[in-house]
Amino acid sequence: MKLVASIYISPKGVFLNNELQFSLTEENWKKEIYSKLEIDYSKFHKMDALSKMAFLSTETLSNAVNTNKYDDNGMVLLFANASSSQDTDLKYINSYEVKGSPSPSLFVYTLPNILTGELAIRHKWYGENCFYIEEKFDAEFYLEQINFYFSKGAKACLCGWVNSFDGKEECFEFLIENEGNDNKELIKEELIKLYNQ
Amino acid sequence: MSEIFMTYGTMITPLGNSTEANFDAMLKNKSGVKFIDNSGFNQENWPLGRISSLPSEERYNTLLKRACHNLIEVHGRDLFSNKQTLVIISSTKADINALPKDTFASTRTILKEELELKNKIVVISNACISGVIAINTAADYLNHSDYEKVVVIGIDALSDFIVYGFQSLFALSNEPSKPFDKNRKGICIGEACGVVILSKEKINDAFHVNYLGGSSSNDANHISGPSRTGEGLFRSVNKTMNRATITSDQIDFISAHGTGTNYNDEMESIAFDRLGLINTPLNSLKGYFGHTLGAAGLIEVISTMKMMEHNILLKSIGFEETGTTRAINVLKESKEQEVTTILKTASGFGGGNASLLLKKCP
Repeated sequence: MKLVASIYISPKGVFLNNELQFSLTEENWKKEIYSKLEIDYSKFHKMDALSKMAFLSTETLSNAVNTNKYDDNGMVLLFANASSSQDTDLKYINSYEVKGSPSPSLFVYTLPNILTGELAIRHKWYGENCFYIEEKFDAEFYLEQINFYFSKGAKACLCGWVNSFDGKEECFEFLIENEGNDNKELIKEELIKLYNQ
Repeated sequence: MSEIFMTYGTMITPLGNSTEANFDAMLKNKSGVKFIDNSGFNQENWPLGRISSLPSEERYNTLLKRACHNLIEVHGRDLFSNKQTLVIISSTKADINALPKDTFASTRTILKEELELKNKIVVISNACISGVIAINTAADYLNHSDYEKVVVIGIDALSDFIVYGFQSLFALSNEPSKPFDKNRKGICIGEACGVVILSKEKINDAFHVNYLGGSSSNDANHISGPSRTGEGLFRSVNKTMNRATITSDQIDFISAHGTGTNYNDEMESIAFDRLGLINTPLNSLKGYFGHTLGAAGLIEVISTMKMMEHNILLKSIGFEETGTTRAINVLKESKEQEVTTILKTASGFGGGNASLLLKKCP
């Protein structure tokens, strides 16, 4: 396997392979990235914070490396976080407890795996998806799951750690290809380093 | 790849507190779906698959504890406290009423305490296909790690959160759901917990099946509506058949997803037609339990294993007249028949589809 690229976004900025692409100044920092990337994708504006972050990260990644060279079943999406969709869950509860009626547009985002659906739609990826709830970022766990999917024929795994809760928002994505013989332990160390920086 | 076995853990639904009690009720074609007063946002009486013995507070946590007690009673403590046992949990919302506190925290605490687990708990939350993905992941662990046994728990409890949400989408049926039927009106939400145990060797004298393979696929089409062409389901089942080296003519029965909504059931009929499975007998068990989200895959697999054990195909409650453009073989009546190889499918929000194949052990 081979670590192809990584991307980290938060209100601090956009970091591709640990290098700052641009810093962010606006409060609506996700919209700021959207504008900077000059994307025209109306679905973006309906997304919740998790989907927006995963979308923007994947756009940045796709600008930097070719994410469509695999057959359309070949890309596996393995995403995880610690807080599920709890941020949107609370907004949705507010819609019926305070605002008067349950909001269907919020309700559909009260599942964390909606974000992998958004990525699949945008990039026409028909491959396998899985969303895990983990207590904290665990590089070894990702590599374990990646190994499962590579052994079943996947060409690449786009993995993500995307959290939105209690005002804290961040998204870390990395792309691992089946081709290549990089040492798994070194990839693990690299991922831990990339996430923590 | 080595042989993988699967057997019953436990099953708690409105129809019973054990796998046996559930199957006995199913043989009598009982349904756990009942009208519940004031369950809707505007005090509607929606038909729901509600477990009446659960307390109004702490439904989820009580259900999970009850499942742990059943597991220990049936299998003993050692199976779970063993270092070579892994637990995977499938749930969409877990303890949603814990908000603003972590909704998944109680799951880990209860499982660790009740089952004295030694390993990390793997939590899969991938909408309505979580259960099937969790079983597929369990098989991955047995194929590629040192674990000897993997316990897969699927669980979701009823909540205003979920009922109001499906109500807001106009997806609820105002009568017990009628999957695949011409007059189907939508979903009935339910609650349940189902547990299976996968292993490298048979773990007891109870009925076991072989897990042959599984997969998932995304529709890449819409986040809350199924593909019009059944693309993701079609791809997933094809992948699963390839992995299991099984062809469509070898499949005796399909445990379909069949939620009872117009779009979902129509999509499944198109996918099964495309797969050469139009004549294969199938049912949806949503008429027995309602749609139990993260538990659905598990309780439907367990029920289907019971059908394999007893060579009986249970009818699809609520189905009377073909209501999809492709005339798939939905069972109007239960019948005795040798059942060797079965396909389980699931589809859900986020465009997810998953499937797996099981075969009776020789």
